[in-house]
Amino acid sequence: MLQAVGLKKHYGEVVALKGLDLKVEAGEVFCLLGANGAGKTTTIQLFLGFVEPTAGKALIAEREVRLHPLETKRELAYIPENVMLYPNLTGLENLRFFVALAGKAELSDAELSATLERAGLARAAVDRRVGTYSKGMRQKVGIALAMAKKARVLLLDEPTSGLDPKASNEFSELLEEVKKDGVAVLMATHDIFRSKEVGDRVGIMKHGELVATMSTADLSHADLERVYLEHMHD
Amino acid sequence: MTEGALGQIAKKELREITRDGRFTIVAAATLLLLVAALAFGLRQSAAVRAERAAAQASADEHFREQDDKNPHVAAHYGTYVFKPSGALTFVDPGVEPFVGSSVKLEAHRRNALEGARAQDSTSIARVGRLSVAAVLQLLVPLLVIGLGFSAWTSERERGTLRMLAASGVRPGVLFGGKVLGLAAALAGVLVPAALVIVGAAMLGGVGHAPAPRALSIAAAYAAYFGVFVALALGVSARSRSSRGALVALLGLWVVWSLAMPRAVLDVAALASPVPGSSEVQRAVAHSLERGLPGGAPREARVEAITEAMLEEQGFAGAETLMDPALLGAVELQAEARYESEVIDFHFAEWERQKARQERVAAWLGALAPPVAMRSLSSALAGTDEAHHRHFADAAEAHRRAFVDMLNREIAEHAGEDVWAYRAGRETWARAPAFRYEPPPLGWALSSQGVNAGSLLLWLVFASAFAWWSGKRVRVV
Repeated sequence: MLQAVGLKKHYGEVVALKGLDLKVEAGEVFCLLGANGAGKTTTIQLFLGFVEPTAGKALIAEREVRLHPLETKRELAYIPENVMLYPNLTGLENLRFFVALAGKAELSDAELSATLERAGLARAAVDRRVGTYSKGMRQKVGIALAMAKKARVLLLDEPTSGLDPKASNEFSELLEEVKKDGVAVLMATHDIFRSKEVGDRVGIMKHGELVATMSTADLSHADLERVYLEHMHD
Repeated sequence: MTEGALGQIAKKELREITRDGRFTIVAAATLLLLVAALAFGLRQSAAVRAERAAAQASADEHFREQDDKNPHVAAHYGTYVFKPSGALTFVDPGVEPFVGSSVKLEAHRRNALEGARAQDSTSIARVGRLSVAAVLQLLVPLLVIGLGFSAWTSERERGTLRMLAASGVRPGVLFGGKVLGLAAALAGVLVPAALVIVGAAMLGGVGHAPAPRALSIAAAYAAYFGVFVALALGVSARSRSSRGALVALLGLWVVWSLAMPRAVLDVAALASPVPGSSEVQRAVAHSLERGLPGGAPREARVEAITEAMLEEQGFAGAETLMDPALLGAVELQAEARYESEVIDFHFAEWERQKARQERVAAWLGALAPPVAMRSLSSALAGTDEAHHRHFADAAEAHRRAFVDMLNREIAEHAGEDVWAYRAGRETWARAPAFRYEPPPLGWALSSQGVNAGSLLLWLVFASAFAWWSGKRVRVV
């Protein structure tokens, strides 16, 4: 569903991504773990088509992002570290807007409201202006967008950064829901604990390179932390 | 899909603008100014129309009721004609407050129009002249800048640009939605104002405002506002910050709306100077006395015209004309024809010089849409220099017919002693009445090719710039 083949990105002399080979299947959550500057966000941006690769390919649903920018975006949903919405519009109006951009203008307000509630947003908040929302609430709108779009790929960039433990747990539960819908999830994070909680596989990135990939089923939290720190100190 | 997204983007833009408290204040202020300018313009127009109609009636009556006298003496006493106020003066007064509105028609002289309203105004009144056109040309672009400067920069600053970029919407649809949203917000202010203008015009008795001109003005202003909508979006897309976009757009407005109008007039006057009215009158007086430059002396020319007129009437020459009274009348008419030649020569040259200067100003004004729009607006409203000259030429044509009628009265009825003849009210009543017919829209547009063309080119350029900039908005 989501694949990187020899993906490279240079910014002048700076090598942000050395050559990434990665595959995420439908219904799988792959967590990219790494420190700041490891290349996680660059990877996400390449799949979003925000930047063009220096070499290699980023593919979504077997379509190359560089050659089919609009078609690949319609297959995916994106939740950045801070889901920024239009503060003078309500949660429902924001969702209706972004859903229409994705080609789903036919969804009714009732359907969209139900999706927001399914994403964990309180009923009372649906018709409130987003300017009054917390970060967690805005993130739920982002999840609702992925559900409403019926996105086949979900790209997450530090989604639990700044969230309290309760909100982070709610987020993990929502991710499980999304996974059950067969969505391929690529999550960039430096939260080791959350990676183990939600991820099926974890990849450790360092200096633009995927230095290790492992299944979380065979690892405890402590193991994962140990492996991660070993790579960071190499 | 495309239609749904376009409509949603436009609705979102409109919601964002209208839910911003600043929009409510600025829109209300603009609408208030427009209504105030309209009220002032209508009142002024109605007052001027009534004043001039009364003055014309009074002048006509004064001429008709004058005592018995020699018709040529009556031609020297003359009469007055008053320029009717244009139907769309209440929208754009143009040069009307600054040019004369009445002219004395008399024998041997083509007088300049006198009685400019601005001469009677206080200096404060002259500076603070509020008109619908001034609000539309100066303040509405500021409103557009205020609404549109952050159309793209706010997306980046707020962080919603990434969400937009990740959505899969076509850049053209996003651009179109922003244009529609901004245009809808602007229409929300201007359409009610336009309805108030039309309604007030109908109630105020100027409902006979010619529809083609009114529609043309509306179309011209729509194109003008379109330039600013497109530029606001283009500059916003190219700018790194909302503040930068606002400074750039305001700077452009200051140069275009405040500096360029004055600069264009000054450069045009330097490049293509035009003599003043008094200088032309002196040249006319000199030629009347000495003959036209490079032409025959006055006496010789009048004699030649007399001979030609006699030939027209079947006489071989003055010496063969047996009736001295007839010869006296013919000589009077020959003098009048010579005067017309001299006046036509100098005024035609004056017109050519003015037209040259106006062409220079028009080409310079093409660099700034507000300058082009100012000229186009007053031309369409019938209040520019060209329309003023059209009236002046019509008044001159009437003067010649008026003087000719009085001279023919002498030729046909005076008898031997031309100067002893007296005519009375029966004669005065037969003098042609002055009826001024303003020129049609096509005539007004014929001199506005550069202004209209430059406005359209600016609209095309600004739209292309906005489109190109919007497609290149960088997400990271």
